[in-house]
Amino acid sequence: MDVLVFIQGDMTTKSKLSLLAIILLIFFGAFYFSLQTKLKNDDLVMINKMLPAIKLQSLQDDSYVELPLQNKKNFYLINIWASWCVPCRQEHPLLMRLKKENNLAIYGINYKDNKSNAQKFLEELGNPYFFSGSDMDGSKAIEIGAYGVPETYLIDREGKIILKFIGPISNTNYEQIIQNIK
Amino acid sequence: MKKIFLTFFFINIFLSSVSLADDKQAIDIYKKIRCLVCQGQSLHDSNSDFAKDLKKIIKEKLDNKETDQQIYNYLTSRYGDWILLDTPVKQSTLLLWFIPIIVLIVGIIILFKRTVFEKSKLS
Repeated sequence: MDVLVFIQGDMTTKSKLSLLAIILLIFFGAFYFSLQTKLKNDDLVMINKMLPAIKLQSLQDDSYVELPLQNKKNFYLINIWASWCVPCRQEHPLLMRLKKENNLAIYGINYKDNKSNAQKFLEELGNPYFFSGSDMDGSKAIEIGAYGVPETYLIDREGKIILKFIGPISNTNYEQIIQNIK
Repeated sequence: MKKIFLTFFFINIFLSSVSLADDKQAIDIYKKIRCLVCQGQSLHDSNSDFAKDLKKIIKEKLDNKETDQQIYNYLTSRYGDWILLDTPVKQSTLLLWFIPIIVLIVGIIILFKRTVFEKSKLS
């Protein structure tokens, strides 16, 4: 009824106020709920998609690997890292622990790094990678939808990305990976 | 000698205008892409590493004769619609696009009815 009165322009102060209150409430509600939900979930846009084809040149020699892998035997992890990246040091012990998992190989993508610094980093902290590839210009990282370093992707046997972590992996992320490969 | 000089001169002008047109196409795309690691900047405005890398890739794709739409598809398939500064019109964004128009229409109707009502009251 209020609306009709409003349209006709014959409104009491009370009904004007209540209409204003309703409108404000709707706005408040809309903003409150949109702040609660993670609308910008585009970080996860690559989840459940096939890993784009990339050719990784080895960090150490002339060998290379083509991803996604064709053998389809096991799940594998792709970790983008660099020796100059501080959070990479933070997640390194977890990668070393993941290395011990029999049914999981870790493929490293060394991002915009200096080769000798990268080697030193691995000698100093241990080498968790089954294969270390090099990405000097950052194009490989963009090909798989990365924003920077570190980032970690869990790929299933079919070559589908099932988990993606932006930033250093945490203990919870570690558990998630273990649960998914079992 | 003069002829050779003139030929080179015109070839040069032709080539530079071609590359300018190429650049314009690239810049038009950069302006429509969000730099995801910056605060509210387009790729064109940003000098971040991420923006530089993306620009390089877009330029390579243009050189490979890919269309603008193919490039946008490449980027949204990896980074989602958020990477486009203009929100695309699709089912999930219909409300966003049409609420202002609906509000405008409702406003006009209210205004119209009110004036008609006031007039009829006066008469």
